[in-house]
Amino acid sequence: MGSETPIMLPHAGCHGHSLRRWRIVAAAVLGGASLALGMVSPMLAVALPAASIALVVENRGGFETIASQLNRRGLKAHAPAAIVGKSGVKHEFAFALQPDSGKTRIVVDTELSVKEVDEMKVLKFYVKVFDVSPEKAVLCVCPRLGERAATLAKEYGITVLEDDVPRRLIPMAEKVVTEFVESGGNQ
Amino acid sequence: MKEGKKKIFPVHYAPGKKLFHIVVTISDAPGSYSSILDLLRTKVNLIGTSTYTRNDGTAMFSGFSEALSPTLTSKELEKLIMGSKAAISAKVYEGKDGLLVDTFHTGYVVGDEVYILMRRDGLVHVFDRVSKMLGSGGDALLFEEGVAMGMRNAEMMIRNVGADRVRAQTGVLNRFLAAQGWGEIEAKVGPKNGSFTVRIDDCFECTADGSSRRGCNFMRGYLAGGAKATYGRDFESKESKCRLIGADACEFQLKPR
Repeated sequence: MGSETPIMLPHAGCHGHSLRRWRIVAAAVLGGASLALGMVSPMLAVALPAASIALVVENRGGFETIASQLNRRGLKAHAPAAIVGKSGVKHEFAFALQPDSGKTRIVVDTELSVKEVDEMKVLKFYVKVFDVSPEKAVLCVCPRLGERAATLAKEYGITVLEDDVPRRLIPMAEKVVTEFVESGGNQ
Repeated sequence: MKEGKKKIFPVHYAPGKKLFHIVVTISDAPGSYSSILDLLRTKVNLIGTSTYTRNDGTAMFSGFSEALSPTLTSKELEKLIMGSKAAISAKVYEGKDGLLVDTFHTGYVVGDEVYILMRRDGLVHVFDRVSKMLGSGGDALLFEEGVAMGMRNAEMMIRNVGADRVRAQTGVLNRFLAAQGWGEIEAKVGPKNGSFTVRIDDCFECTADGSSRRGCNFMRGYLAGGAKATYGRDFESKESKCRLIGADACEFQLKPR
């Protein structure tokens, strides 16, 4: 059903952090082994998906930290965030700043991939952004956007942050969000 | 008599049968149609026919038929038909290997509007793919497209019959959508001023098996767009029941914003 009231997902607590660390270590070990062995074992085929799950979990944790910091400053930050758009459809973002007054100020999403991210991912983000109409939309991409995807993102006015290392995207996003907040949202 | 889906014949397959598509321009006068039928009854079994008037004093007869004799030819049929005073011109197309396709018509016209015909299942799978590729954004996109189409269709109807009639005859006009296969729509005025509950039996948007969508966002938007054009204000549209999540029919709540 496409029409629900906004529900903000709860933040993970301390247990979530330790579980995340365990998953990251496990995934890194499996991932490293699979690369060393040249992915010859079917058993190791699970390693890459496991690694990507770990990266997603790690990123989620990073956004939760940013949200906590901003919430301490009295801002309404959510990570992850579920926002109901103009259409009545509920969209999920990795991070969002949404005051109680309603209008979403900034949304952030991530796209992690082993190859260049294509234009479909940009489009997927854009249609959510279009429906939610935030003041600013940020897409964190690992490793980078493809050429056509980059052109599309520019056309749609999406701020793109790129890095080969997923965890570096968190401080990059934090910087953009902080600058946006401190500038009063005029970026 | 039970209401049901209309059968039309852009194509017909009957292995082993000799098939003809008979197209006749007739004078638009009483008795013309029956005189053609009278001529044909000893030669062919009519499977499906249609007639429509044109703006030049003529009418068209179009019929898919099976030959009663295996030796019957299209030329013989044309000659037979042209023996009628009602016939102005005639063309008979013969099928091949039991397959007959309408090669005369090039689409459908309702009023002044040109329509296309497509499989329900095909369109619904397009919706599925949009939703799958674009996630929740795809659902929002379907809603927006529904709003746009609902508004355009309602505006067209208002141009044709007037806004007052559209408002007063909503029930009848909903039958127009049903006749096109969108689903059987029943709108009830709600307890709150200007609100509606719309129930749709056999809603086209949720007919495909295995859909991963959880609601009829296009139809939800279509109703909001139609209501906006009809009543001149924005409506909030929510789907309260949907066949995609186990209900026996879809139900929408519309209320003015």
